[in-house]
Amino acid sequence: MANDKKTIGITKANASALAGLVSAGRFGSELDAAKFAMAHALKAGVQSGSTDGAETKWNVGSFDPDGSLRSLLEALRPDAAEPYRLAEHLMNEGIKSLAAQISAGSDLYLTLFPQEP
Amino acid sequence: MLQLKAIHVEDFGPFKGHQTIKLSLQDGVTVIYGENMRGKTSLLNAVRFAFFGKVLGRGTKSMSLHKVGNWEQAARGKFGFQVQLEFRDEESEYKLSRSCQPRKGVSTPAGDDDYSVDYFVEKDGDVLGPQQAEAELKRILPEQISRFFLFDGELLQEYEDLLSSETDMGRRISESIERILGVPVLTSARTTLLRLKEKSEHREATAAQGDQKTREFGNQLADLHAQRKVLNEELQRLERELENSRSQKASLEEAMKKKERVAALLDKRDTLDRLMKEIDLRRSAKQLELQQAMAGAWCAVLAEPIRAATKALRDSALVLQTELMRADVLRDLQANAASDCPACLQKVSADARKRIEASLQGAGDKGQAEKRRDLSAIQRKIAALEQHAAGARSDVLRILWDAVEEAAVDFAAKKGERDEIAKQLENVDEDSLRKTKADFESTIRLIDVFEKGVAKTRESLEQNKSDAENIQKRLDKLAGGNIGAERKRRELVTELHRLFDESVGAYREQLRKRVEADATRLFKALTTESEYSALRINDSYGLTIVHQDGSDIPVRSAGAEHVVALCLMGALQNNAPLRGPIVIDSPFGRLDRGHTKNIIRALPTMTKQVVLLVYDDELPPDLARNELKSKLRGEWRLERRSARHTELVPRKD
Repeated sequence: MANDKKTIGITKANASALAGLVSAGRFGSELDAAKFAMAHALKAGVQSGSTDGAETKWNVGSFDPDGSLRSLLEALRPDAAEPYRLAEHLMNEGIKSLAAQISAGSDLYLTLFPQEP
Repeated sequence: MLQLKAIHVEDFGPFKGHQTIKLSLQDGVTVIYGENMRGKTSLLNAVRFAFFGKVLGRGTKSMSLHKVGNWEQAARGKFGFQVQLEFRDEESEYKLSRSCQPRKGVSTPAGDDDYSVDYFVEKDGDVLGPQQAEAELKRILPEQISRFFLFDGELLQEYEDLLSSETDMGRRISESIERILGVPVLTSARTTLLRLKEKSEHREATAAQGDQKTREFGNQLADLHAQRKVLNEELQRLERELENSRSQKASLEEAMKKKERVAALLDKRDTLDRLMKEIDLRRSAKQLELQQAMAGAWCAVLAEPIRAATKALRDSALVLQTELMRADVLRDLQANAASDCPACLQKVSADARKRIEASLQGAGDKGQAEKRRDLSAIQRKIAALEQHAAGARSDVLRILWDAVEEAAVDFAAKKGERDEIAKQLENVDEDSLRKTKADFESTIRLIDVFEKGVAKTRESLEQNKSDAENIQKRLDKLAGGNIGAERKRRELVTELHRLFDESVGAYREQLRKRVEADATRLFKALTTESEYSALRINDSYGLTIVHQDGSDIPVRSAGAEHVVALCLMGALQNNAPLRGPIVIDSPFGRLDRGHTKNIIRALPTMTKQVVLLVYDDELPPDLARNELKSKLRGEWRLERRSARHTELVPRKD
């Protein structure tokens, strides 16, 4: 835990996809969009890991001011020793996945409100 | 009476080069056949151009002369055109030539300003001077009444306005009718007599001023006359302005009628623009709300995992809490060995006590502390999960998202509609349309101002007249100086004015009766509906169809409108001091065969010379020949040589 990240970053390749998500108008900020991407990856079952080449975007103080996000990640992924590293990884993977979905013609709507089977 | 002998056209519309059509001077009808776009309307316009220097396009609007010349000749660099009419009037032979040629120094004209229009008139072989030529033309065929001699179906349709006293077009036509019927001869005489009356009153007042006995009344009358002069001048000015404004309103009304469809499209586009703005504002507001709500969207995505994790953690917490509570109870029992068991309230046996100690030794203080830390960690996680679960407002997000989407769809639909309209409006001069509308509104305001001004000035004049009459009565009781002679003069002119004033009303009434009787006679001959028995005339010369049961027919078709208008034309020709040929362009387009036959038969009775411009289907040549018989004076054909070249040839089939 002591080695966990103090800052959260986005890779160069994902930065433009993140900006694209925001400019589509649904998100009020890149942080909101990034958290959404993280949740998307988490739900999709993306394995724990770390992202190389992420360029700092937020420090954890602004990313998770009350530490509740870290607690949530610990609850959902009990095996994660470094929740913020996991969050960064999930964000980047989530952005990649959402960007791919959108370019394939899908919509955030379905991610947010999945159709009843 | 004016009778046309020949029409010569040169490079006028589709008539390339010099071409001539000869017309018989014997009473009857000449028929000129031509299919659409061959030049029937151009031929009617050629006659109009020769007399008035004007060419009318659709909607009776003046056409640019630059567009009138033959296009094939223009393509070869030859611009301009000419029309010559040969006609007879009051036993004299006339040649009227009018040309429109490029100005000196202009090789390729681009607009009307690059042309000069000139004309000359030959009477019995002598060329008339410009002033005499103008006076002769005004006498032979004044432009104001040309609508009764040169017309088409579109012009006939305008006569419906006579039924409504409120339209300016109706007022204008009504004035033209009175002009052709010669009413202005009487009204002008009445106006002259009114001026003479006022002058004689003034002379009498001046004479009264010269005598001491009558001076005071003379002075008062002179003042009132001076005041009346000013009021009359003001009234004339206001009436002139009112007339100009009414003409302006009628022209603007016509222009707006032509642009009605475009105006409706513009209105619709403006409405859509407004709606789009409103939708966009609504969408922006909802989008802002959605963006704020989307801060918690990630929690909504994880709602299900959060619920599952919360449940699992609560289960773990429960296990830990149970274990810790059990250890606490055991520790209590160990510490109070003599006490009863708090659960079953019985003595704790020695065997049981041993098992308690063993159990407590196995757990140890360290183990308990770890469990408490674990429980605390689990509770922290549960709190975090609950906190984020509360932020997952899927229902709110869905409502906001749908509202934004709905606004976007609405916006796109409106935009699609708006773009479609914008395409249709691509070549429309919006500024000119808006200007026409604005001018129309300001003209209506002006008319209101002038009407009030006229009413007020008339009121003042009436007051002035009444005051003058009172003084005049008092003056009449006195005598002195040479007032007697002036009084006689004034009395004579006053009587004459009264006579003419009454005669204007009587003549109008007589005319209306005669026009109504003649129009009814013609109508009975023309209509195919046996139950229609007459036409009834109103004060503006509008004609209403009367059923045999005496009731009015309130609504009539476009075809019936043409028939009624033709009856009015015939009746006016019959009662007008000024008569002439009728040149009609496509009058049967809206009429069935029965009405066409009746009209053809009646045409020779309407005037001595009729020139019909028709297409074959509208008036088959056999029908014309059978119905007109010996009254058919000539048959001509507009023969196509190319899209921009028509030849006038005698019809020989």
